[in-house]
Amino acid sequence: MTTGDDVNPLDAGLGTERRAPPLALVVFGASGDLTHRKLMPALEHLARRRLLPAGFSVVGVARTELSDDDFQARMAEAVKDAGPEWEALTRSFRYVAGDYTETTTFERLRRVLDALDRERGTAGNRVYYLATVPQVFSKVVTGLGEHGLAKPKDSDSFARIVIEKPFGRDLESAARLDAELHQVLDEDQIYRIDHYLGKETVQNVLALRFANAIFEPIWNRRYVDHVQITVAESLGVGHRAGFYETAGAMRDIVQNHVMQVLALTAMEPPATINARGIRDEKVKALRAVDILTPDEVATEVVRAQYDAGWVEGEEVKSYRAEEDVAPDSTTETYVAMRLSVDNWRWAGVPFYIRTGKRLPKRITEVAMEFKSVPHLPFPSDMARGLQRNSLVLRIQPDEGITLRFGAKVPGQAFRVRSVSMDFSYGAAFVEESPDAYERLLLDAMVGDPTLFIRTDEVDQAWRIVDPILGAWAAGDAPLARYEAGTWGPKAADRLIERDGHRWRSP
Amino acid sequence: MAQPLTLSVWSDENVKVADVLAAMEGLRKPERLPPFRTTVMTLVMLASRRSNADWAMSAVYELGGRHPARTLLILTDPYGDTGVDAEVRLLGGRADGAELWFEDIELTVRGDVTDHLDSLIEPFTVADLPVVSWFVDGLPAADDAMIRASDVILVDARGFGDTDCFETIASLLEERPVVDLSWVRLAPWRALLAGLFDGRELRPFLSGVRSVQVFGKTGPRHLLGGWLVDRLGLEHDVVELHDALHVSIGIDAVAGGRTARFEVVRAGDERMVTARAHISGGPESSSVVVLPDATPAWGLADALSHLERDPVYEGALRVALALPSA
Repeated sequence: MTTGDDVNPLDAGLGTERRAPPLALVVFGASGDLTHRKLMPALEHLARRRLLPAGFSVVGVARTELSDDDFQARMAEAVKDAGPEWEALTRSFRYVAGDYTETTTFERLRRVLDALDRERGTAGNRVYYLATVPQVFSKVVTGLGEHGLAKPKDSDSFARIVIEKPFGRDLESAARLDAELHQVLDEDQIYRIDHYLGKETVQNVLALRFANAIFEPIWNRRYVDHVQITVAESLGVGHRAGFYETAGAMRDIVQNHVMQVLALTAMEPPATINARGIRDEKVKALRAVDILTPDEVATEVVRAQYDAGWVEGEEVKSYRAEEDVAPDSTTETYVAMRLSVDNWRWAGVPFYIRTGKRLPKRITEVAMEFKSVPHLPFPSDMARGLQRNSLVLRIQPDEGITLRFGAKVPGQAFRVRSVSMDFSYGAAFVEESPDAYERLLLDAMVGDPTLFIRTDEVDQAWRIVDPILGAWAAGDAPLARYEAGTWGPKAADRLIERDGHRWRSP
Repeated sequence: MAQPLTLSVWSDENVKVADVLAAMEGLRKPERLPPFRTTVMTLVMLASRRSNADWAMSAVYELGGRHPARTLLILTDPYGDTGVDAEVRLLGGRADGAELWFEDIELTVRGDVTDHLDSLIEPFTVADLPVVSWFVDGLPAADDAMIRASDVILVDARGFGDTDCFETIASLLEERPVVDLSWVRLAPWRALLAGLFDGRELRPFLSGVRSVQVFGKTGPRHLLGGWLVDRLGLEHDVVELHDALHVSIGIDAVAGGRTARFEVVRAGDERMVTARAHISGGPESSSVVVLPDATPAWGLADALSHLERDPVYEGALRVALALPSA
């Protein structure tokens, strides 16, 4: 084995092909909640798994006045029970205090980054993470552009930017944000993060569908009766009421998480599992979703808000009684809808979607409900316990897959009932799953955009959601109510029952 | 997962395989059991001493729900009266919040049966899944019947204390993939050293290595020395091996007229390894990795996750055989 300058022969066999290259991670909003709760623990995990390079540093940027030492101490404390490797890593962190609209902030940032290149060997590589409120996205990007920080320092280095959802609050504002970003950045520099895509089991939808010969042939209108996608939360709005009042379940969950899960479920097999292949197919699937007319919104979509009730053994107040929520708020905390994916694979197969807060438990799952057998050769009283076959992909918690099928009940009579074959991730693999942020942060550092959302995906998701928001804004759609701790309003039951189906009990 | 809870136990002396299989069936029946742990391999642990057998079993228990294997512990006594004693334990525990149950089979094999272990284990293996044989306290000969019955051999070169074991492992490699726990445990040193050469500024130093010093016990230091010679295309005499309690590596290199020193050092008894790169007139970088606790399970989870041939290990072993046994 001889060495070339492009490959590191010592990496072979270590499983560290995805170790980040030398770089500086610049976190805007460094004093905020996301940085403490998600980004720093994710970095600590990456350091522990030896996936960060020696030439690595974090530069925090925020308005709060802090010294480098203060910032290092705060970041060290952000990770509970961290080992000495985390403390050693945080000693390389730097901090720039300043307003995102001021030139001096970006000038100081440039000086710090240049110094890190010299002292730490970060090689001119930058990943900018916008852990800020969305209102300042364009200010930061403009500042980076004006100070020559948005473009790679030279032909061997890179500059990438990670932005958090929401990507606009409707189609128009999303397009405006995109235009502002593209004034400074190329699309391949932009990493739009939806942490749902970083979950192992979301990615496993791809593995299940495209690595197994037995599932893909039945993954279509010939065998699938309908699809149910459930994203349920037992929590209320918590401290996010200010944001949630302006967003609601449609913008907070459906436009991004649900559309991504739907796209992965409905998409055609890509030629290759790479960023372009997967994202092209996801966009094609989203394009095939039938856009609802205002009249259809009234019949195909249910919006609702929770009243007081009991969840997980605790009495909880109604949404309108939550702190920072208007007493006459009409923000939806629950959405159920019936969508059609109009293409050869899915024509005529309804996709039922429901998401809500204060539901009985936290669960995200995709359930493929298969058609019944064309003829049941058993007397009906012998097959009373028999349900349709279903394949359920549990995304969280207790990630796994359940296949429901019919089996003979032991005994003299030929009675048949449904049984479940259950596969649990936790019990099948020695490896621990990386946290979603850990996975996505590393992807951004190594330059793999597969699990990030491309501009046309954002655009297409808004095209589906916008008419619904428009119809609601017109004031015609009623706001149903549901008791906290139940699976939603009666109207949602009626939505699915009119097709002869029922919501699953996940 | 914490130490699993024993739900049921069956044991008997001088048993037939059919007795054990029937007992396993009987143990499972009356319980209202949570889901069975997903099984992806059969792990056969072979030991001739009780203390080694207990040590290996404790390693498996430490992996707990994250160890998806049917475990079969074979305790051999070739000089005893021919026969087999068996104990089957039905165990319950939690992994990632889920309740699971699983079973361990322990066979004490005496006399002539010890020469025919392959015939004994076959009925207990899980169909269509690999059989991993872990030789806990000694290396088998390449013609050992258990090699034929195994898909993968698991050993620990560190435990043998000399370099002769490399020749035996090399002969085993001709028959089956071998996973060496000693090699798996060296991954932090290798990863840290490899990481020091990341980036366009540092990568060229890999082509200008002038001297390498590897410290450690017999076995690990030879494997690391062999690895560096093999991967970097170095002459054997560039590498110096030194006996030491803990593993450390130093490399001196030149590139573009600059000299550099790269080190991966475990200092004292701290379970921490530090990597440093010092380039004359250039950047200095360092990173630290904390080693896992030195429990029996150290390296076992990783070893069981990579059961295929490892050409990097095989290359390192090949060179280690030729390195001076300093």
